[in-house]
Amino acid sequence: MSSTKGTKLLSYIIVLLMLSLYLFPLFYLFNVSMKTQSEYLIDPVAIAKGLRLENFMDAWEKGNFSQYMWNSILYTGVSTLLTLVISVFAAFPLARGYVKFSTFFYVFFLISMYLPNPLIPQFALINSLGLYNTQLGFILLKTTGTGIAFLMFVGYIKSVSRELDEAAAMDGCGYSRYLFTILVPLMKPVLATGIILTAIGAWNDIIGPTIYLSDPAYQPVTKGLFSFYGQYMNNWPLLACGILIVTLPLVILYIFLQRFIVGGAMAGAVKS
Amino acid sequence: MYPFGKGAARLMPYLLLSIPVLLYLLLGFGPSMVTVLFSFTNASGVPGQTWNFVGFENYMTFFTSSDSGDRIASIGRSLYFAVAVVVIQNAVGLFMAVIINKKLKGDVFYRAVFFLPVVLGVTVSGLIWQLIANPLGGPAQAMMNFFGTSSNFFGDYDIAFELIIFVQIWMYMGYSMTIFLAGLQSIPNDLYEAGYMDGASGWKAFKNITFPMIAPSFTVNMLLSIIGALQTFDIIYVLTGGKFNTTTLAFDVYATAFGSGTSDYGLASAVAMIQFLFVFTVSMIALYYLRRREVEM
Repeated sequence: MSSTKGTKLLSYIIVLLMLSLYLFPLFYLFNVSMKTQSEYLIDPVAIAKGLRLENFMDAWEKGNFSQYMWNSILYTGVSTLLTLVISVFAAFPLARGYVKFSTFFYVFFLISMYLPNPLIPQFALINSLGLYNTQLGFILLKTTGTGIAFLMFVGYIKSVSRELDEAAAMDGCGYSRYLFTILVPLMKPVLATGIILTAIGAWNDIIGPTIYLSDPAYQPVTKGLFSFYGQYMNNWPLLACGILIVTLPLVILYIFLQRFIVGGAMAGAVKS
Repeated sequence: MYPFGKGAARLMPYLLLSIPVLLYLLLGFGPSMVTVLFSFTNASGVPGQTWNFVGFENYMTFFTSSDSGDRIASIGRSLYFAVAVVVIQNAVGLFMAVIINKKLKGDVFYRAVFFLPVVLGVTVSGLIWQLIANPLGGPAQAMMNFFGTSSNFFGDYDIAFELIIFVQIWMYMGYSMTIFLAGLQSIPNDLYEAGYMDGASGWKAFKNITFPMIAPSFTVNMLLSIIGALQTFDIIYVLTGGKFNTTTLAFDVYATAFGSGTSDYGLASAVAMIQFLFVFTVSMIALYYLRRREVEM
């Protein structure tokens, strides 16, 4: 089996090369963040002379990141929660066929992927409702019951036995009580992945805040980081700290949740 | 059969379903349809200006005005972007999935690392590559110096767009790979054993067993990346802001409606409609061939 050994070795080499393409940028980012501006200007690629954690404090204050972080947490938290609840409202009856024209509604939701870009009338609408530059308006825009979570839920609910509905109904359980006290706990794995994928999408949005939130006090961390970049374009050590500040919470969260995330991406893609 | 009672109780699912339906009608489907209307008007974001029906004027403007060279070029660029991203991202994704599926040590770690850019998001990923490509002495420049040339990278008319394509593929390769991995892991091992008996190993086994068996995840990946690539513009916004010959149709919609100094909703809606026809046609053709491949096997 020497050929297998050879291909295994080759596989490791390819993976290693690919890994460096993904990890080098992060190491380099960290390296730059530990430099002083003059150190960076003299030799940007050289290894930093030591840990300079005060750079982070500096970037945190100059970039006003506490405000931006709080906004991101608010938008991501509320819109993800609402999206999940609304997706359950839509997914359960459509997966079971408990409403007339279930298939029609399912396809109606599904075609949202193909429809003409709604960006412009959406903006005109939000504007005329007086919701431009408001936190409520932005949360509303980020809330939808037709996205990836909905599609995953439909697939998952189909695998939950229909007899469970009947048994619960026989015991006098009502529709909404069934949803929240029986179905939702059963959906834990798919809920976890739905939460993560929805939250990643909401947290990372840059176009939405650019269009809808002109007041820096309401902007999330993506927009904040981008403005910070525009402002300190030539001070890369400071910028690198800013990028890392935005990156770190996500990376830490990702390390804990990565099994769910990767598993969820698979489930979402294959079951829908 | 609906088990949760009769009469008023029968209305509960409708009541709860009406929330997502209304939200979608108001903020998704409705605005999409209004885009069609807008594309035939001179609607604009200038306050106080009246909106009139202008027929196909916006479409004419797209194809015949003085700056329509750029707009028409953006159609070609959208197609170029989509083909490059779809082909390379899925080829590399499939290749890496096959390799990682060989039960290498540390496979969970590799999967996590390749998926990481999706979590970091487009702003962070974009700025990281800006840092690397910094023409004033970033590592990319250091490499160029080694070969005795230099480049302005994202500020270079000749290669800025290719660099954007590279960053896009870097960001989403792991996503494609993950979906392929799911497909690969659903193939029963006996198939390979039976194939081995019949003399199918290596490339032959891949062509005759693996590739047909992952047809569903292949379809999903192709469709997701075609639709995604044709509609993506946030990466362009972050990396070049559409300068240096990097606009696509999707970016043009944004720039015409919300760019600095312009708010031509009518024209932007017409661009959105052209983009829609483009996305719809390409994805329907792709779907037709992909489905046929799934049926054949």
